[in-house]
Amino acid sequence: MNAIIMIIVVLFPMVSGVLVPILPFRSRRQMMIYIEGMTLLTSILVISMLVNQPTNSLILFRFTGDLSVSFRLDGLGAVFAGMVAVLWPLAVLYSFEYMEQENKEKYFFAFYIIAYGVTLGVALAEDILTMYFFFEMLSLVTLPLIMYTLTGEAVQASRTYFYYMVGGAAFAFIGMIFILSYGTTSVFVPGGVLDVAKVGDKTNLLLVIYVLCFCGFSVKTAMWPMSSWLPKAGVAPTPVTALLHAVAVVKTGAFTVMRITYYSFGTELIRGTWAQSLLMALIIITIVYGCSRALKETHFKRRLAWSTVSNLSYILFGVVLMSPLGFVGALSHMVFHAVMKICSFFCAGAVIKKTGRTYIYELDGLGRKMPKVFLAFTLSSLALMGVPGLCGFISKWNLAKAAVSSGNPLSYVGVAALLVSALLTAIYMLTISVRAFFPGRDFDYETIRDVEDPGWRMIVPLVVFAAGMFFFGLHPQPILKVFENIGAVMP
Amino acid sequence: MNGWILIPIFFPIVAGIFLLLSSFLQHLREVKRHKTSRTAVAAESEELRNIHILTAAVLIISAAAVLWAVWTGEKEATLIYLMKGISLYFKVDAAGRLFVTIASLIWVAICAYSFVYMKHEGEERRFFGFYLVVYGVLTALGLSGNLVTFYLFYELLTLASMPLVLHNGTRESIMASLKYLFYSMCGAYMGLFGIYFLFRYCGTLTFTAGGSLDMALAQDNKGIILIAVFSMIVGFGAKAGMFPLHAWLPTAHPAAPSPASAALSGVIVKAGVLAMLRMVYYVVGPDFIRGTWVQTAWMILSLLTVFMGSMLAYREPVFKKRLAYSTVSQISYILFGLSLLTPQALTGALLHTVFHAIVKTGLFLTAGILITQCNKTRVEDYVGIGKRMPWTLGCYTLLSLALIGIPPASGFISKWYLAQGALDAEVGIFRWLGPAVLLISALLTAGYLLPVVMKGFFPGKEFDADTDKLSLEPSMWMLAPLAVCAVLAVILGIFPSPLIQYAEHIASAVL
Repeated sequence: MNAIIMIIVVLFPMVSGVLVPILPFRSRRQMMIYIEGMTLLTSILVISMLVNQPTNSLILFRFTGDLSVSFRLDGLGAVFAGMVAVLWPLAVLYSFEYMEQENKEKYFFAFYIIAYGVTLGVALAEDILTMYFFFEMLSLVTLPLIMYTLTGEAVQASRTYFYYMVGGAAFAFIGMIFILSYGTTSVFVPGGVLDVAKVGDKTNLLLVIYVLCFCGFSVKTAMWPMSSWLPKAGVAPTPVTALLHAVAVVKTGAFTVMRITYYSFGTELIRGTWAQSLLMALIIITIVYGCSRALKETHFKRRLAWSTVSNLSYILFGVVLMSPLGFVGALSHMVFHAVMKICSFFCAGAVIKKTGRTYIYELDGLGRKMPKVFLAFTLSSLALMGVPGLCGFISKWNLAKAAVSSGNPLSYVGVAALLVSALLTAIYMLTISVRAFFPGRDFDYETIRDVEDPGWRMIVPLVVFAAGMFFFGLHPQPILKVFENIGAVMP
Repeated sequence: MNGWILIPIFFPIVAGIFLLLSSFLQHLREVKRHKTSRTAVAAESEELRNIHILTAAVLIISAAAVLWAVWTGEKEATLIYLMKGISLYFKVDAAGRLFVTIASLIWVAICAYSFVYMKHEGEERRFFGFYLVVYGVLTALGLSGNLVTFYLFYELLTLASMPLVLHNGTRESIMASLKYLFYSMCGAYMGLFGIYFLFRYCGTLTFTAGGSLDMALAQDNKGIILIAVFSMIVGFGAKAGMFPLHAWLPTAHPAAPSPASAALSGVIVKAGVLAMLRMVYYVVGPDFIRGTWVQTAWMILSLLTVFMGSMLAYREPVFKKRLAYSTVSQISYILFGLSLLTPQALTGALLHTVFHAIVKTGLFLTAGILITQCNKTRVEDYVGIGKRMPWTLGCYTLLSLALIGIPPASGFISKWYLAQGALDAEVGIFRWLGPAVLLISALLTAGYLLPVVMKGFFPGKEFDADTDKLSLEPSMWMLAPLAVCAVLAVILGIFPSPLIQYAEHIASAVL
């Protein structure tokens, strides 16, 4: 099948994004139809690409010699592309209502759709250079989205974001150079590409480089001690925090880490070394640290952001188990967490849109007035806690199964950390639900008289996500089968 | 064709959710209307009757269906396959049958009682909605055929019963319910930690009498499996009020409306007992734990809880809180029986589960009556109460005697088996330490339950019996369930043999 479709899906949203501020729309409605249409069209193209599975690779352009920007679709990339293709149109739909009465929304949507193309570029990258290229580009195109409100806080946050990303990219760059010089090829190959002859006795050097590179890429996944940019970036409009800072950007970090671990350096090199232990320790700290900070936080969106910090490290925990099982666990949490967290962020956004309240102590009694939103929120809380029957249980089960069967004592500590984090999740999420639904006997409902559920554009995505949580929680086998097939080619 | 045992599980849950939704809609309407007129009040009492009829009908139908289902032979049904080797699977077996039967009978009794009681708490739709959901979940818990299914309903039990605790909406009760929620969740996650490891080393999590641990695989990893099992014991102990995760119980029980505390103390804490029974006797296998540090630690924790609970109950002046501490202590009798790993002690533990369920439900129903009828919550205020409500206090006396273990009332039988089991077990100093602690605790039980009887019936000379002769006896709806509990507590003590045989049958299957 024609591999050209891969270029189309990457470039099409970028071009249509650039056109948003240029095209002369006569009304807001027209613009909405254009934006949603382009997003949907891209998603349809992505889905058709996933169905047809083009096997050839495709070179966009060459720098010099072997260095090129080129695309190829493989299992891991397909999962990532499929995930964002489903979420993006829903997030755009949600944004229409959220971004009402904003005068600069044109620019917002322009960058929002460009980011879609860039994320797909990361997913389809065939080699480490292409991936790095899109990885950097993603940092740049999402920067204006954080700065959007142009308040002092937003500018400050975007500055922090930028510094973190640039710093991370520098470390990632070092890793890339070493892969290029010590690998047989720069293309991603399951099991890694390191050339045994070239590596020789430099194993320790490569491990140091791997750790640096891992840390560099996982700045995007907000691993401790590089996590503080994510809660700060919560000043961005909710569609950005929900889609980019809970899914697309941060999971790009997780995705790139998977690529370098399983497809470039290879797990053989790292398994059982100090590098694995060091990274696992950092990740375990992040899991608990993120949850503890979430517990302490009283700002609604920032609490969810800290929760994201912790949950992203679940994915990394699966990655550093360095086994096919761990890879499957990481993949399943990557997809399931996307559904759960975007749902809870959308609920927070709906509350902000309808009431303007951003702190948790202001949410008393709102559950009675916005039942749909808070039911969805409670459902996502339960899923994040890992109540069986919802998708969070399945991914935690897979992660724990991988950790238990690895036989590594540190990974047992990791299992304990997962459960401590689950308990803290229960505390910081359910207190919100209890407060919203049961404000207490003497609460005066007059104070929130005119509050009501938002319109259908905000409710539809919530319903889809709620259905998704149940579906993946009760019938996960088909999707787990896909993950297992991807993991099966690992050595 | 066995699939229909699922119906009595899901029927009450669906009906409960229906009631909850209607409560929600009603609330929305009320907020819009702002005021209630007289016609609205009349309509409300009409509505209330409908709620009562609906709840009673759903409960009786599903209780009848589930009892018929469990007592007519072994059945199994798979609802859905989650992952490789993990399904939602239900199976009727002897232990589950016992649990479901107790839960159903007590649920019907408490339901009748709460029709009257809840009038003074309000928001009946919400209460009965959650009440029905919890019933369905309890049934499912009893019928669960593997550890994952069990864990699912164990968590749902916490989530569905928590709103019962915060029902009256005061700040105190909301905090209590959160405490309940987080302690239970903490326990559940400690349990889940163990489940992860057991899944690795058992291969299957389906309940098999005697356990299904892969011994060859387990011998090399004995250390970590024991840690996992211990974590499960402590974790599931949270629901059963075992030290160190017991602190939620004396906070949550008094904060809940009395029917809810009766349900919590009588049945819901038994979910923790059932969890340990299933985990130790049906998944890990008693032989793996026997003689290890886990068994010793378990015995120490349970005996400590027995003693501590009775001591705290003895010192506690608030009546419902005193009963809550009593539950802490009594449940650990059962846990001590489980930890001994001998057939006789297990028989005793199962008997005590049944007897304690009946007795403690009755005691909390009494507490509820005392609260509604005289508006007093502290023990020293119950002076002379026996003159004005002789039937209530009479039932209370019978129940107290049963809990203390005075023959021929029922508690005697179970404690006898527990003590016998301890004396026969190969457990070092616990052979005599166990029975000694049980004995001291029995004395303390007498010390904290009987003063109410004494002061109630014999207020002393200074008490002026003529001040108010009006009878304070509650309506039949409240008195009858209490009387049933009291009579059962005595009858089961006089004619215990069918029950003993049944418990011995369970014990011999797993040991």
